[in-house]
Amino acid sequence: MTQETLGRLVSTEPTAGRITFADLRGTRALDLADLYRRSGRVARWLLGRGVGPGDRIGIHLANGLEWVLLDLAALRLKVETAGLEPGKFTPSGDLLTRYGLTLLFTDRPADAPGTVGASDVAAAAERTDLDEPALPPVTWGPKDVTTIKFTSGSTGEPKGLGATAGSIDISLRAVQEIFEHRPGDDLFVFLPLSLLQQRYWIYSSLLHGHDVTVTTYEAAFAALRRARPTVVMGVPAFYEAAKRQIEAKRRRFPSLQTAAQAVFGERIRYLWTGSAPAAPSTLRFFDEAGLPIYEGYGLNETCIVTKNHPKAHREGSVGQVLRGKEVLIDEDGVVHVRSEHPVNTHYTYAEPGSSERVFAPDGTVRTGDLGHLDEDGFLFIRGRADDVIVLDNGKKIIVRPIEERMKADPAIAECVLFCPGQTELVAVVSPARVPADREALTARLALTNAALTNDERISRMILADEPFSIDNGLLTSQYKPKRRQILAAHHAAVHNPEEGIHAP
Amino acid sequence: MLPELEATAREHFSAVLTHDIDPAALDLDADMVGHYALTSLNKVLFLTELCETTKVDLGNFTEHDLAGMRTLRDVTTALARHAGPVEN
Repeated sequence: MTQETLGRLVSTEPTAGRITFADLRGTRALDLADLYRRSGRVARWLLGRGVGPGDRIGIHLANGLEWVLLDLAALRLKVETAGLEPGKFTPSGDLLTRYGLTLLFTDRPADAPGTVGASDVAAAAERTDLDEPALPPVTWGPKDVTTIKFTSGSTGEPKGLGATAGSIDISLRAVQEIFEHRPGDDLFVFLPLSLLQQRYWIYSSLLHGHDVTVTTYEAAFAALRRARPTVVMGVPAFYEAAKRQIEAKRRRFPSLQTAAQAVFGERIRYLWTGSAPAAPSTLRFFDEAGLPIYEGYGLNETCIVTKNHPKAHREGSVGQVLRGKEVLIDEDGVVHVRSEHPVNTHYTYAEPGSSERVFAPDGTVRTGDLGHLDEDGFLFIRGRADDVIVLDNGKKIIVRPIEERMKADPAIAECVLFCPGQTELVAVVSPARVPADREALTARLALTNAALTNDERISRMILADEPFSIDNGLLTSQYKPKRRQILAAHHAAVHNPEEGIHAP
Repeated sequence: MLPELEATAREHFSAVLTHDIDPAALDLDADMVGHYALTSLNKVLFLTELCETTKVDLGNFTEHDLAGMRTLRDVTTALARHAGPVEN
């Protein structure tokens, strides 16, 4: 069943399309046919180094040509990969042992046996003596694991999940059905290639003959204006930064659309966002700027589940369910995802009990997110089941929508809700400006409460003396609020009913 | 030259921050990440825009050079070595 996707990738030299690698200094482009031939050289080189079908190689590299060559070579040999994001893993003998790696490819200093430098991969790709002999044919069965992907949790050891060929196949087909990537498209990829979904766009170019541009997160904006892509594969934080940039440019350009084109180029067909909720104001901004943006939903454990797209999109939703997937909402409102071909039915690397908490025996995933489906099958995500406050009257309050309403105000950078004594909701607010604009904040509190039920009303608001930051320990390295630490830092004020700005 | 570059750097830096700070109030010697919550994405965005305005080729700097720029003063010192007149 993977014959039309992975089957073609490993056996058929592409006839169209280009891949461009961009960094701060410039770009390098290759025809996809050339990339394919070079991946064959790397595959023969790997065989010569004793790597064979069923082995696993670790790839601990920044985005670039070597990453892509190793990934394709591994697919062509039926070798598993483990994508290890630099910064989250350290190349060492322990890493090789822990994840059963035959070889570990890295661009960081490493001298443990089994570690190989990226320059060796680059050198192998240049060797024309490696153009022969023909590689043995391989077939990826639907349950075969192609790669280990790691969850990106900010605490604890990352969990490792084996992604099956069947799950990759249905995701590639489902995305192509709704977005119809084609020659003339250029997909812009800057998130780490260790995230399997980012490699989908390279696979898509090989299958459908369009272009793809690969850069790094840090170089994304610099590369974007050179690349002028038709599609950008981004995340909310990227689009929020782009929005600020477009707004800063606005007074120098005749219109919002031209200011947006100064950042993204004039060829955008659509923008893809996912991996975290996007602020409704950000989504509206890009639509108004003439850049259609489509939000979707999925987890590492499920791959892409739902997606808004040109023919079916609804404001506030994360789209309709993709072919091959089913969304089930349980009696607590928690979203479960069943797949024709699950990513897997358990973690390969995780603490005991972790798999059972998430995966049912048939691979159905308990996402931990709260949501509902409307009558047309559009999914709406309301928050995390963990971020629910239970009042002493038994009512459950989902905090995210309330926090989002507060954060919609430009005077508020961050807002976290607490419920001391299970009786009142108290907001701790990180102001966008120091000193805080108390009048604007009070007005926002009143406006927010006006839209809420009695149980959801915020009783009072504590203003943080200084904005939350990584430096003061109140934001994670991903710029998310650290709820426990925020509560600890404001404990006395949160628990004193007389403290703070009281709701009008 | 350097005062102009500093003023331009302050404007561009202020534009990428998630919270409003008067450019004149920015501390040139404060850690951009720890003190101002500058993300790595916004750091390059800031430098890209600043280089465009000051006509400094961003290609003069490696990713290692950028990582070493921890304060606004680090940025202005590095760019001053390559900068021409500032265009507004």
